[in-house]
Amino acid sequence: MGDRSGWRRSICILAVLALLASGAPAAEPNVRSIAVGLSTEHFSRSVVWPGDEAASKILSHIVSARVDIGLAGGIVFRLDAGLSLGDFSGLTFDGLPISLELDGDPIGGFALGAEVAAPLKKVGAFEIGAAGRFVYSFGMSKSWPLEGFAVEGEAAGQPSAMELSAGPRVAFRSSGRIVPYAEVRASLFWARFRILETLGDLGGEETKSVRGDLAVSIALGADVRVTDRISVKAKAGIMPAAGGAGAIISIGAMYGF
Amino acid sequence: MSRAIMGRPWRILAAFAVLLLASPGVNGGVAVRTVKRIGPPVQRPARSLRFEGPSVRRRGPRYSADRVLVRFRPEITAAYAEGLLLSYGFPSVRRIPAIGVYSVRTAPGVSVVETLAMLRRNGDIEAARPDYRARIADVPNDTYFQRYQYSLQNRGGTLDLGGGLTFAMTAGADIKAVAAWDSAKGAADVVIAVLDTGVDMMHPDLAAKIVSSGYDFANDDDDAVDDHWHGTLVAGIAAASTGNGAGIAGVAWNCRILPVKVVDENGDGYYSWIIDGIIWATDQGADVINLSLGGEVPDPFLEDACQYAQDHGVVIAAASGNDAGGVLYPAAYDDTVLAAAASDYNDAIASFSNFGPEVDVAAPGVWILGPVPLSYVGAGQLPYVFGTGTSAAAPQVAGLAAIIRSAKPGLTAEEIMMIIRYTADDINRATLPGRDDHAGYGRINMQRALVPYILD
Repeated sequence: MGDRSGWRRSICILAVLALLASGAPAAEPNVRSIAVGLSTEHFSRSVVWPGDEAASKILSHIVSARVDIGLAGGIVFRLDAGLSLGDFSGLTFDGLPISLELDGDPIGGFALGAEVAAPLKKVGAFEIGAAGRFVYSFGMSKSWPLEGFAVEGEAAGQPSAMELSAGPRVAFRSSGRIVPYAEVRASLFWARFRILETLGDLGGEETKSVRGDLAVSIALGADVRVTDRISVKAKAGIMPAAGGAGAIISIGAMYGF
Repeated sequence: MSRAIMGRPWRILAAFAVLLLASPGVNGGVAVRTVKRIGPPVQRPARSLRFEGPSVRRRGPRYSADRVLVRFRPEITAAYAEGLLLSYGFPSVRRIPAIGVYSVRTAPGVSVVETLAMLRRNGDIEAARPDYRARIADVPNDTYFQRYQYSLQNRGGTLDLGGGLTFAMTAGADIKAVAAWDSAKGAADVVIAVLDTGVDMMHPDLAAKIVSSGYDFANDDDDAVDDHWHGTLVAGIAAASTGNGAGIAGVAWNCRILPVKVVDENGDGYYSWIIDGIIWATDQGADVINLSLGGEVPDPFLEDACQYAQDHGVVIAAASGNDAGGVLYPAAYDDTVLAAAASDYNDAIASFSNFGPEVDVAAPGVWILGPVPLSYVGAGQLPYVFGTGTSAAAPQVAGLAAIIRSAKPGLTAEEIMMIIRYTADDINRATLPGRDDHAGYGRINMQRALVPYILD
């Protein structure tokens, strides 16, 4: 049941994203602007893993190269790819012969993302639009020696996570170089951590998954045009949740062509 | 009540002398009797009595979400250190002068992981650590736990049995039960079959733990009452009522006992009774079988019975024997039975403990307090005695197996046996590093077997 409703929600979000793309005025393919740059993003989210009673936090840091493509009608399409660090501290694997709990350094990996933002209506200096984003990060496999046992052992784990978010954005477009905005997003989150354990002749494998965890975030951001070609984009937000608020902080520097 | 025990040293000594022979000797299994038919199942099968899930305590975050502990290098002054910490924007910084450590509240919106990473980059800081959580351990409130049950938690000091009988103990020479109980105490639907002289099912420390009246293969009836004392003691060590404010604590806090009598009132039994008992207990749904007994002669039928139990997912723990000789049967069946040697309050292997390549693990087996039938000690006496022998070690192994089975019902019997072996403490590594014939893999360590290993 939970999975089905999760998929229904996913389909709704995807529909919103599709609407954003198809409903954009004149949907002209013309590329109006291209900007490239670097951005860094911090993300934390409280989730309750299956089998756990308490929520634990997933932290993620992403440093990525980014391309913003401005299309006709004010639509901005963004692609980014970079390195990620995922912290799954507190995640416990009780299904293995020897239970394991993660409590260490973040696990490195890669992240891919895409975002689309489209203006829908202008009311005075305010521009009402919508934005949707997709991020997929996959960690590299990490291994840990299992010490203190009568035989040699090792655990090896690999995480992955995906987020799909969409929602309205209200920007204040005055004549200045700074465009502040506020946005609310509904966010669906999937995470998976697979771990293998070997201890002497014992072996086990366990995968923990969070499927379609829904949360709503509120964020404030600003696009700052430093020069005609250089701009800075920053955003900070919170994601209230029963197990503790999550946070989103991102900052990027772009060079336009 | 503890004074009453101490005030009867001769009684205790007498009990000890009796117990020192530990295993009720099975006469080598050579006196073959007609195989007894398994009686009608008049009792409720063990499996029919399920009302609790595994009692595994899920753990919350291991450390504070908004506080870290920091120590600066010795040459850094307190004024400089505090100024530096405040410059990071931490909302509160508190010094613990006695050890030169600062308790720091993290900046809003910045996680502990980020804060630690930031602080560890500073060369003036010697160490920055999370502020780990602690909690009250689940220490049982049973009357004799703190004072006498060193095998479960040994704080060092002196084990004073009264009558001038005192022993200096080594802290930590125990099976780490208290630390393990914080993670798992076992489930009520997991049953330890005690194949022995029967069990005193009315004993106040056992009555609530008895699944059924069991079966008596010595007298061929369905009442496995203890007309000796050995089985009651063994059952209590494995799974006496724990946390009930009386008597002793058992290893398997919540697990229950299926009494199976395979040894008569004189302490004698036959392989046929044991074979019947193993198969009957297995068919009744026992999860673990304890055999604090053994014979010197190998027997393929006895081995087949052990194999039958293992094929049905049952873990068997058995005493290795108490005459400093070779490992007895069925403990010596390496593939299907965990052979338990006896260690003491200093983590030394007891001199009487049998040895050989079949020994899997050790558990404390010297001066182990356990319940006995009131009829054994007599009216007006406390129904507890101190027992010594591998008979007292095996039920601790059985108790651990039962808790593992409770926490991880999907594991096979072989996997549970491996966990118990691999998580043991190599107590005699100074002289015999690694697995050896005296302690096997070492003294069992419940904490290592049950508490999650931290990947850091």
